[in-house]
Amino acid sequence: MDEYVMPNGMVVLGEPMAGVESVAFDFMLPAGAAWMPPGYCGASNIISEWVFRGAGTRDSRQLGDALDGLGVQRSTSIGSSHIYLGGALESSNLAQALALYADVILNPLLNDEQFEPARQLVVEELASLDDEPRQRVMLELRKRFYPDPLGRSTVGEMEDLQNLTAEKTKEIAQSYLHIPETIFSVAGKYDFDAVRRQIEGVFGPRGGVPLSPREVESGGSRYTHIPNEGAQVHIGLVTGTARFVDEGYYNARAAVSVLSGGMSSRLFTEVREKRGLCYAIGAKYHSLKEAAGIMCYAGTTPDKAQETLDVIVAEFNRLAEGITEEEMARAKIGLKSSVILHSESSSSRAGAIGSDYYMLGRVRSLDEIKERIEATSVDSVLGFLRRYPFREYTVVTIGPKEVRVP
Amino acid sequence: MKFQHRQLSNGLTLIGEINPPGKSAAVGYFVRTGSRDETLDINGVSHFLEHMLFKGNDRLSALEVNEAFDSRGAQFNAFTSEEQTVFYAAVLPEYLIEITDLWAELMRPALRDDDFTIEKNVIKEEIAMYQDTPTFDVMDRCRSLHFGTHCCGQSVLGSVESIDALTAEQMRGYFARRYVPNNVVVACTGNFDWDRFCETVEGASRPWQAEPAERRLTHFEGTKQKVRAEKANLKREHICLMHTGVSAQDPRRFAATLLGMIVGDDYGSRFYWELVDKALAEEASMHYNPMDGTGVFYSYLRCGTRNVEQVSGIVDAIFRDLIAHGVTEEELAKAKNKVLSALVLKNELPMGRLVDLGFNSMYTHEYRPLEQDVEAIKAVRVAEVDTLIREMDLSSYTQYSLGPMTS
Repeated sequence: MDEYVMPNGMVVLGEPMAGVESVAFDFMLPAGAAWMPPGYCGASNIISEWVFRGAGTRDSRQLGDALDGLGVQRSTSIGSSHIYLGGALESSNLAQALALYADVILNPLLNDEQFEPARQLVVEELASLDDEPRQRVMLELRKRFYPDPLGRSTVGEMEDLQNLTAEKTKEIAQSYLHIPETIFSVAGKYDFDAVRRQIEGVFGPRGGVPLSPREVESGGSRYTHIPNEGAQVHIGLVTGTARFVDEGYYNARAAVSVLSGGMSSRLFTEVREKRGLCYAIGAKYHSLKEAAGIMCYAGTTPDKAQETLDVIVAEFNRLAEGITEEEMARAKIGLKSSVILHSESSSSRAGAIGSDYYMLGRVRSLDEIKERIEATSVDSVLGFLRRYPFREYTVVTIGPKEVRVP
Repeated sequence: MKFQHRQLSNGLTLIGEINPPGKSAAVGYFVRTGSRDETLDINGVSHFLEHMLFKGNDRLSALEVNEAFDSRGAQFNAFTSEEQTVFYAAVLPEYLIEITDLWAELMRPALRDDDFTIEKNVIKEEIAMYQDTPTFDVMDRCRSLHFGTHCCGQSVLGSVESIDALTAEQMRGYFARRYVPNNVVVACTGNFDWDRFCETVEGASRPWQAEPAERRLTHFEGTKQKVRAEKANLKREHICLMHTGVSAQDPRRFAATLLGMIVGDDYGSRFYWELVDKALAEEASMHYNPMDGTGVFYSYLRCGTRNVEQVSGIVDAIFRDLIAHGVTEEELAKAKNKVLSALVLKNELPMGRLVDLGFNSMYTHEYRPLEQDVEAIKAVRVAEVDTLIREMDLSSYTQYSLGPMTS
């Protein structure tokens, strides 16, 4: 495990992997959706599009051609806390790719004439969500569940997007692409000394005033229905649980695994296998630094929507009543196996070590994760469920029919 | 990386690529059957049957099957296309043999009536889910339009009507005809013991009897029709274009892959610079889909209704320009770098390698090490891509549009 903290605070992390020819990297910039000033929801998304439209000495086309010439598989995403700019490629071109990304982050042109198409693309992306109820229901769910501003839409809000000008967006980009709080991670085949020198050479001289912490408000409404004359009712449900940084984290993961880890888990068995109510049904653990939830999705035709929700809530509630040793053993091996299988992918590791560092201030080793999973038991999970009972459910549905939350 | 191959006396093919330092292994049963092998009265049976394999055999119930996979931490699933049904699992090396054996057992399913009845509901929910996913829906409709009466136009999921009408008896008949050992390839990649893998599959498959399992391979030029349908709840225009391409056996398939990248990669392609960069369409992609004896290019475009005409005009201008002037050396070089990068990343994971290995074996009956595909991509010249553009006639395609009400 490689780790280096630059004098200005920026973190450089690396995990070498044997037997691979690829390398993947990620820049985590502290400019996620929750950080944006009120009234400018979607600014992160526009910024992440705009910075690639020319940087350093290259215009938009030259920059795109340069990245393509290196065979970089680009990945850009917006989270609640960060903008993630990532890439994966054959390792021999890493230094050149990093030089291009450094330009994108430190010296984006942010030309006025490139602003409008960048903003327009985000507007179109948001409009497209109306046609994708499965994705939209989960975004709406996060908005209502997480205390504001944590759950704000990572895509944007139409009114705010219309209000954003080139000038305002540039001002936001300049204050929020804050280098001292940026985390850089790399995994796969690389030379850490060379990477560290290169990153420090370009990012080292950048300082700045730390960003002020956010005020967090309390969560939102319990049930929202969004009418849509589609074929199914898309149900999103969430309830609060232990955060990634909390002591109860591994018990929370085990609990979710019993509920929805594999095809023998409770939700799949009760909702799909026994009753044939859904094709897609599942719950997963989701954590921000400040709050966490167990998020469940199910899609079902209107006549079955109420029964589906009733069965899901009953299964959540029943969990604290007891778990068998066999269920617990399957949950644990499922979690361990998934950790090991993901550890073979350079992209997955680059993302995971960056996220660990942001959450915990350190990177967990695979052995530590495996030991912590191994240490969970039926008793520890039931004890955890007594400390973190499922009290309230936030529910959003999109579709032709409303439901009643039990 | 070491390659191994064995053919059993009942026709079952076993292949493996062994990587001893790997932390995991992946196993897949590739059955050469899909919606193109169905008759219209049983449309959707291949995919429904894929679901039914998880319901167990004479020894195991559905719940016991799921428990058997989960208790070994397997990441397992299956998928069905027009031409394959693939069952796979990624596991830690110590569970590979047990999981291989479990899949082999499931290849002789009970196909019980009560399981069939309840699973029918799940299939119909899956159909409903995809109706609410216009990206998928428009491609499915476009494929049917493009292939017309050719068997490749048959829907993988089937329709609510065809699924309602399907009987368990019809499914059993289809199973007996298609799941014969000479129509199956078992592949394995990653860290595993080849001899034990072979012994396991051989032992489990001994009673399986070879039977003829034919597939009609006819190339099809496509109907080149254009249709638009409306849905009240849609806000965007979803457009799918289909071009006739070359087959999975055709040596020009590497040039075809590169052409798809040049025209319609997510970033840096002709579609990208002319449509997405200018924010006229939020998505514009093209990719080549090699098939058994034929092939197609899918393009998917999504935009606001006010931009439809402009987007269509630009797409046609891109095609005309490619026919008149061909591709440039620079764009071919970039496309190669991107294809190679994606190939390396995908094949580093046992699961990624498994799919390429299995498909190669099914389509070409040959083993192709990764290096051979890499060399084939590197060797493609501009003239070959230009010839392909002229031969396939880029200006002529099938189009299906799905969008909001216009009145």
